[in-house]
Amino acid sequence: MNIKSIHRDITIADLAEQFPESVGYLSERGIRCLRCGEPIWGTLAEAAREKGFSETQIKQIVDVLNARSSGFNSQGKSKTQEK
Amino acid sequence: MLDVLDHLGISEVNSGLSDGLTWKNTTGEIASMISPADGRSIARIQQATGKDYEDTVKLAQEAFNTWRMVPAPKRGEIVRLIGNALRIYKDDLGRLVSYEMGKIYQEGLGEVQEMIDIADFAVGQSRQLYGLTMHSERERHRMYEQYHPLGIVGVVTSFNFPVAVWAWNAMLALVAGDVVIWKPSSKVMLSAVAVHNIIKKVLIDNKVPAGVLNLIIAGSKEIGDNFFADKRVPLISFTGSTNVGRKVSRIVGERLGRSLLELGGNNAIIITPSANMDMAIRATVFGAAGTAGQRCTTTRRLIIHESVYDSFRDKLVKAYGQLRIGHPLHATTHVGPLISKASVSDFEFAVKKVQQEGGRILFGGTVLQGEGYESGCYVAPCIAEAKGHYEIVQEETFAPIVYLMKYTSVDEAIAIHNGVPQGLSSSIFTTNMLEAEQFLSHEGSDCGIANVNIGTSGAEIGGAFGGEKETGGGRESGSDAWKVYMRRQTNTINYSTNLPLAQGIKFDI
Repeated sequence: MNIKSIHRDITIADLAEQFPESVGYLSERGIRCLRCGEPIWGTLAEAAREKGFSETQIKQIVDVLNARSSGFNSQGKSKTQEK
Repeated sequence: MLDVLDHLGISEVNSGLSDGLTWKNTTGEIASMISPADGRSIARIQQATGKDYEDTVKLAQEAFNTWRMVPAPKRGEIVRLIGNALRIYKDDLGRLVSYEMGKIYQEGLGEVQEMIDIADFAVGQSRQLYGLTMHSERERHRMYEQYHPLGIVGVVTSFNFPVAVWAWNAMLALVAGDVVIWKPSSKVMLSAVAVHNIIKKVLIDNKVPAGVLNLIIAGSKEIGDNFFADKRVPLISFTGSTNVGRKVSRIVGERLGRSLLELGGNNAIIITPSANMDMAIRATVFGAAGTAGQRCTTTRRLIIHESVYDSFRDKLVKAYGQLRIGHPLHATTHVGPLISKASVSDFEFAVKKVQQEGGRILFGGTVLQGEGYESGCYVAPCIAEAKGHYEIVQEETFAPIVYLMKYTSVDEAIAIHNGVPQGLSSSIFTTNMLEAEQFLSHEGSDCGIANVNIGTSGAEIGGAFGGEKETGGGRESGSDAWKVYMRRQTNTINYSTNLPLAQGIKFDI
């Protein structure tokens, strides 16, 4: 599945596959997307809520991830690096 | 790889739904399987849907009614033939496992050998599904217990052992008279397809009913909570993370079903002053860096006596310097890639986090780039000095990072060792009998697996495999793990003409 942008209901599996750098960003905020090397089950919003993030904070996370992902292509390589 | 795929019956697009005898048409999403070794697409899978799941369960229920009536030793004969078929395809399947998952070829072969070993074990077990007999307190009464087939066993496997974990479960379930619905990891679907291609001929030739061994490939959206909540599936065997395992436990527990959980580990080796250092180094390197740190039993912590700490650390760093990291199918490679770029991000996070918490990187910890590493999934295995209480040390990072810690007394070493939430595998290297026995005693390791002078990984199939605490408590594979796949029934038979009640109760009418 090719996903153009990140939204609150994206599954962690799709997020990790399409936007692998997101894993590091979310881990720094206490949301560990991978366990035993596999994406945790459920959506981004569910994972964030489990860690106590409010709906407003979840929206902020989604916005940040989208802003960051615009700097990366779907293969997870920085466009800047590619140049 | 093309000839390997051809031998294993892998097409360009493969169905993700099998009843053991037939590949079914499905309408789910098509997924490409990308090798972490080189980033190339191997083949595609048309995944199953929720409707397919319903059909599969119904067929499995019907198949169970037939299969449970086949005598156990005859069920064992089918398992023996499956083992033989795996022997024929060992090399091809080992290569595919290696290419699709990223473990080195030797480990791919080892994984298929595990399948063969458990098949052999299960054949013998099929004539040993023993129950006990008891002496009744009542005259002319007889008591005994017997084990009956359970029903449908749901088997959910993880990417790091794409085929062996299924075999651990399925071979025992088959001899127990159960039927299996297998949901493999979405990262290694082709290995599962190959296994079903290998067993298909055995099942057809021996007239095993459709629905005894089922494969259903789909994401957790299609087959996830509904699978665990399904009362028609009395046992769910789940191998994976503590995070998902907790969910499985809750959902299956709510319906009072049975779950077999094989979850995360945070395995440690204690290196004592009397240890054979050469053995300890070899065991550590294989345990910590082998399979790129992606085994449940990977060595993640080293607890080293202060008197040998510096010398062991230096030898370990030197040994890591000799590791060859590269394509998993190359004969000289020691360490292959991580399963995905997301795993690489997770690895990078852990390396950063241990430093933020005060740890020191002694070796590796970087992402490899350049020729041969184009997939972006290769990392340099990491050695870090750390403290046991660090948040990152308390967690399992599924990547090659090993944390070094110092101890002064054995009691302290065991306290550090047990001071994590997980309890899978453990080891002590010592030639001191007192230390070894203390480690193995009830005041020692709190893990399901405790070894002396052997590393934490590389278990044999003959023992029960599993762990305590957040590892989930499940046991599969050898010993008496077969019992979880059966239901125990206690029988009391009265061959007298009276009806005495137990405990001498009088109830005359």
